[in-house]
Amino acid sequence: MAAELAVQDVSLRFGGIEVLQEVSFTVEPGQIFGLVGPNGAGKTSLFNCISGHYRPTAGTVRIDGTPVQGARPATLARHGLARTFQHPALQLQETVLENVLLGAHTQLPGGPLAWSVRTRRTRRAEERFRGEALALLERNGLAWAAHLPADELSHGLHKGVELCRALLMKPRLLLLDEPAAGLPHTEVENLIATVRRLRAEDDITVVIVEHHMGLIAALTDRVVVLDHGRKLMEGTAAQAQSDPRVIEAYIGKDAADDVA
Amino acid sequence: MAGARMTTAALSDRQRSWLRRAGPLLLVVVLVVVPLVFPESVNETIARIGVFAVAVLGLNVVMGYAGQVSLGQIFFLGLGAYVTAYGVSNDWNIVVVFVLACLIPAFVGLLVALAAARLGGLAIAMVTVALPIVGVPLAKRLSEFTGGSQGLSARFGDAPEWSGLYDDQWRLYLVLAIGGAVFLLTRNLVRGKYGRVLGIVKKNENVASSVGISPYRYKVLAFTLASLIGGVSGFLYMLVIQYTSPETMSFGHSIQLLAAMVIGGAASIVGSVLGGAYYVLVPQLTNLVDPSLTALLQGAVLLVVLFVLPGGLASLARPLGRGRRSRARHDPAPLITPSATTKSGSAADTPETERQGHP
Repeated sequence: MAAELAVQDVSLRFGGIEVLQEVSFTVEPGQIFGLVGPNGAGKTSLFNCISGHYRPTAGTVRIDGTPVQGARPATLARHGLARTFQHPALQLQETVLENVLLGAHTQLPGGPLAWSVRTRRTRRAEERFRGEALALLERNGLAWAAHLPADELSHGLHKGVELCRALLMKPRLLLLDEPAAGLPHTEVENLIATVRRLRAEDDITVVIVEHHMGLIAALTDRVVVLDHGRKLMEGTAAQAQSDPRVIEAYIGKDAADDVA
Repeated sequence: MAGARMTTAALSDRQRSWLRRAGPLLLVVVLVVVPLVFPESVNETIARIGVFAVAVLGLNVVMGYAGQVSLGQIFFLGLGAYVTAYGVSNDWNIVVVFVLACLIPAFVGLLVALAAARLGGLAIAMVTVALPIVGVPLAKRLSEFTGGSQGLSARFGDAPEWSGLYDDQWRLYLVLAIGGAVFLLTRNLVRGKYGRVLGIVKKNENVASSVGISPYRYKVLAFTLASLIGGVSGFLYMLVIQYTSPETMSFGHSIQLLAAMVIGGAASIVGSVLGGAYYVLVPQLTNLVDPSLTALLQGAVLLVVLFVLPGGLASLARPLGRGRRSRARHDPAPLITPSATTKSGSAADTPETERQGHP
């Protein structure tokens, strides 16, 4: 069951710095939603407010109508929110499979005692999720890497592994923080195909923070453009790309940052 | 390139599955035979290695696996030893004594962790530094329970008549059985669900919380488990050494325990055994060389190991399990320790006749 996300008048201040100012938007269940804007616009901060890593100074965040601002990230994760990070943090010495299995944490039964004596229940659960993790890797073209240590994979593939880890959580709301950053062109194509397949096969709402306008245009139903912590406009990706305010925000002041 | 890597992985897979089947059996056979073949002094040395291997294992849970700096592990060994000594000298049932020697340190560890884990990084280290520093004068002061500076002696675990074993053999069996069980349970725990949790809490708390893990909870859990395992090592300490004093839990010993963990190998089960061996054997060996240079030589050993093997001695065994460290099972430590001890054992020739027990 895909979740609805409603962000209302969210502000975030660090000391004297206004990072976000009264940002509001609603993501319908099952939508793929884009958050765009030049560097420093506050996109990732807004993400962190949604995922519980930051607590907004003012405003509300609702998931399916329930206010969640200020809830701990671990609590939100248990209620169906999963996210990826701009810089994937994997356990580099561990295998790709072990890294993905971390996503099964809240679904694995049993306390420390049960796991130290390896009860039948824990062994079965581990087996089952091992299978699910392998299936996810397979679906994302990473089955070949399942038993390799993560440090043998490229940065782009780390992002794929991280996505599998998030998907193993079976989220209803998935936040992707710059999934295309640093990816070569072919891998961006793969990523677009992956997220499309997600929408087709899983009942899931996706919010993407991204600079890559090609990816945003190809994937999203709707976008919000942020600039200097304020909402500049909301509409389709095509509307955003032709909006003079957006063009000014991108090309006017931050051209050097964003051409890349 | 990728193909070549796959084939080597497949080959070592086959070797590994062979090790997986034969390894544990071989280990059990060695552990059963070892106490029977060596003289008393060697058995006692192996038993002491077992005691400190368990203590290092506890430290590894909180520091090696969960990444929380703890400088107070020796306090829990001392606490377990005092509880054991007190219980034994009051003629309590030994099973009750064992359970208390586990639970009391675990409970104290839990209380400390509930407060300390709220503080970040170095603050935890500072709180744990306080444990041995407070523990030593406290043990001196509470002389009603601890015997003050004199300490407490307690003798238990003599060989029962039906066993036909010497006392040192029986005690070594007890150490191997209890220590082995703790190692097995901990090994299981640090794989699978909890191994992944501790690993990610160590590496990146934001990622941990994003998959539904409360870092605080698992830091407290790791610290409590380390304290419990420390308590077990304290029980074994009393079994083997039969005497404890405030000096047992001095801060210097805590630092040596930390050095032993790093040298053995952080976040490694095998490394904990090697660390225990280091803790017991290296001071003996440096004493043999020149007693006045003991501390200096130990420092030199520490530096050499860290320069040559930053991952500790356990990294020597790692190439076999590369990439699957979490499932590699070879456990060469017990095979190494007896042969390493024979030298020091034969030097101190205890006459066979003084050996106590019921052979």
